[in-house]
Amino acid sequence: MTSRLTIRVLGALLAFAVLARIPAGFDVGFKFDAALAVIWAFGLLSLVLLTGYVGQISLCQATFAGVGAYTAGMMVSSFHVDYLVAVAAGVIAAAALGVIVGLPALRLRGITLAIVTLGIALVFDRYVFQDHAFEWFTGGTGGWRVSQATMFGLRMDSSAHLMAAYLVLLGLFCVVAVLLVNLHESGAGRRFRAIRDSELAAATMGVNLTRYKLLAFGMSAAIAGLGGSFYPLVAGSVSPQPFWLFTSLQFAAIAVLMGVRYVPAAALGGAFMAFVPDVLTRYGHGAFLGHAYEISYDWFQIAVGVLLIGQLIALPDGVWGDLRGRVRHAWSAAGSVGGRRVKVA
Amino acid sequence: MATFAAYTVIGLSLGGIFSLAALGIVLIYRTTGVLNFAHGAMGMFSTFVAWQVFYGWSHPFWPGWVSTLLAVVAGLIFAAAMGLLLELSVFRWVRGREPVVKAVITIGILLALQSAASLIWHNNQYHLPIYILPQQWVLSVAGVPIGANSLVIIGAALGLAFGLGAFLRYTGFGRAMRAVSDSPTSASLWGVPVGRVGAVSWMLGSLVAALAGILITPFINFDTTSLTLLIIDALAAALIGGLVSLPLTVLGGFILGLLETYPAIWIQSIGFPRLVALIVIIAVLFVRNPRGFSVAAK
Repeated sequence: MTSRLTIRVLGALLAFAVLARIPAGFDVGFKFDAALAVIWAFGLLSLVLLTGYVGQISLCQATFAGVGAYTAGMMVSSFHVDYLVAVAAGVIAAAALGVIVGLPALRLRGITLAIVTLGIALVFDRYVFQDHAFEWFTGGTGGWRVSQATMFGLRMDSSAHLMAAYLVLLGLFCVVAVLLVNLHESGAGRRFRAIRDSELAAATMGVNLTRYKLLAFGMSAAIAGLGGSFYPLVAGSVSPQPFWLFTSLQFAAIAVLMGVRYVPAAALGGAFMAFVPDVLTRYGHGAFLGHAYEISYDWFQIAVGVLLIGQLIALPDGVWGDLRGRVRHAWSAAGSVGGRRVKVA
Repeated sequence: MATFAAYTVIGLSLGGIFSLAALGIVLIYRTTGVLNFAHGAMGMFSTFVAWQVFYGWSHPFWPGWVSTLLAVVAGLIFAAAMGLLLELSVFRWVRGREPVVKAVITIGILLALQSAASLIWHNNQYHLPIYILPQQWVLSVAGVPIGANSLVIIGAALGLAFGLGAFLRYTGFGRAMRAVSDSPTSASLWGVPVGRVGAVSWMLGSLVAALAGILITPFINFDTTSLTLLIIDALAAALIGGLVSLPLTVLGGFILGLLETYPAIWIQSIGFPRLVALIVIIAVLFVRNPRGFSVAAK
């Protein structure tokens, strides 16, 4: 067990070392995308826990991220606290909302839970994040502007210190990722998976459904909120648009597309979600056979929808799950060369 | 009292909108077992096709009703074709999968259609609605104005509820549709042409979505997201009908329409009605045992 933990920690350190260097040569736009990729990856990671481990559907993960973002923005703009305090507040607020959202999930399952969480995402999108009644929380129509903040007592300007924000985000992501992989085989993780496979059976074996479902929703929302609460630092402001309903739907779609049971798939999905639209809009225009063309952001969402449908028909375990399966298959096939071949008739 | 009556009229026409949208969801759910999150998006896309014919391609010398008729027919033909295409390219291949997987597939359809529409017709741009009857036709009952288009919506909702209900219950093809949704294997063993039934189910569902979308345009901010997001209110109405009963769904739509309209007397907010819809959804799911619609709860 311990050796596995060591391997995982080493793997995370290696991933951190590699990923930390990649955006160094990027321009500001792509550095922003790199930080955004980690924020979205947190959102997808929250679904790995909630859907992949515990089997609960949620279509409001962007809402949790948005609550984290608005709380952090409010803390920094109104109370001028250190950014770490703002992040902690964002995580706590998101986790609290997650537990509240988990309450209906105690009775609901599957599609009915999808309907309720979709409704919650819409209520926050159209009402809480946009209505005058919540201006104390959202900072009015302009949102919170966080152009200057301090972290660990150091100045963090959103434009100048993108790399620093990216490194902090990436470090946190690696830590949370290792914790999640370990959770899978812990006592709580076994209870989570029991709930996923059959709630009735889990309850019969003495799993406290109320406690573990609420715990799962709280933890998942906290993870999404952790990413979201860095959004004001990275983007310099908070607005409802990044956390609207369609982001929640994209989270669900991309998490399933990449493989909702696998932690590395979340990182892959985050990069996909942040870089692909920007690359498309940046390089996707020109002339082809004399016809001027332009690829807009809309093509990205069309691609997500079409890829999701294709994946669900052809690769039920997601892109990462399928790749992993193929690599393992090839590995064991390579291992059997020279050894005793097992004939499968 | 006059305010109350006026709001009641608004609420009822809003309820007619929700009912129309919800009927299609219940129809598709009953005949295919798929809870279609993309229902609003499908209706939206067909409605934009009708809009394109009405405002883009119709000739100025044609009388108004010809343009309207052509637009509606074009929208409905497109809707049927889209339903058929979706069945052939997507849902035929996932017939045996769990309901949740099919629901997630409809989310993919929602995302793709929504972006395709905003790519073609541009979002955040006000589109003129399609008026089935002239906007000036307004009835006045005891001093309360009632638009003719509101009456069309309410009439269409009631007519569709009972018409589709009778179709599913009393015709052979309707019964075949319900049989396929219940168990494709058993239905095919009894000689039901499962593929053809699935195709007709999706074409019919898409038609109802398009009809609802076209009738709704004068009453909402007609852009690519509004009709897509109508799904939540429609789902609330559909849940009141237990995802089974078409007349109860229409009743649920009217109740929801009134519940969302009356608070507007005191609370001026665009977002507040969404909260009402969410509360209705949660309340319905808690009062009715989710096992009541067992396929959804699996």
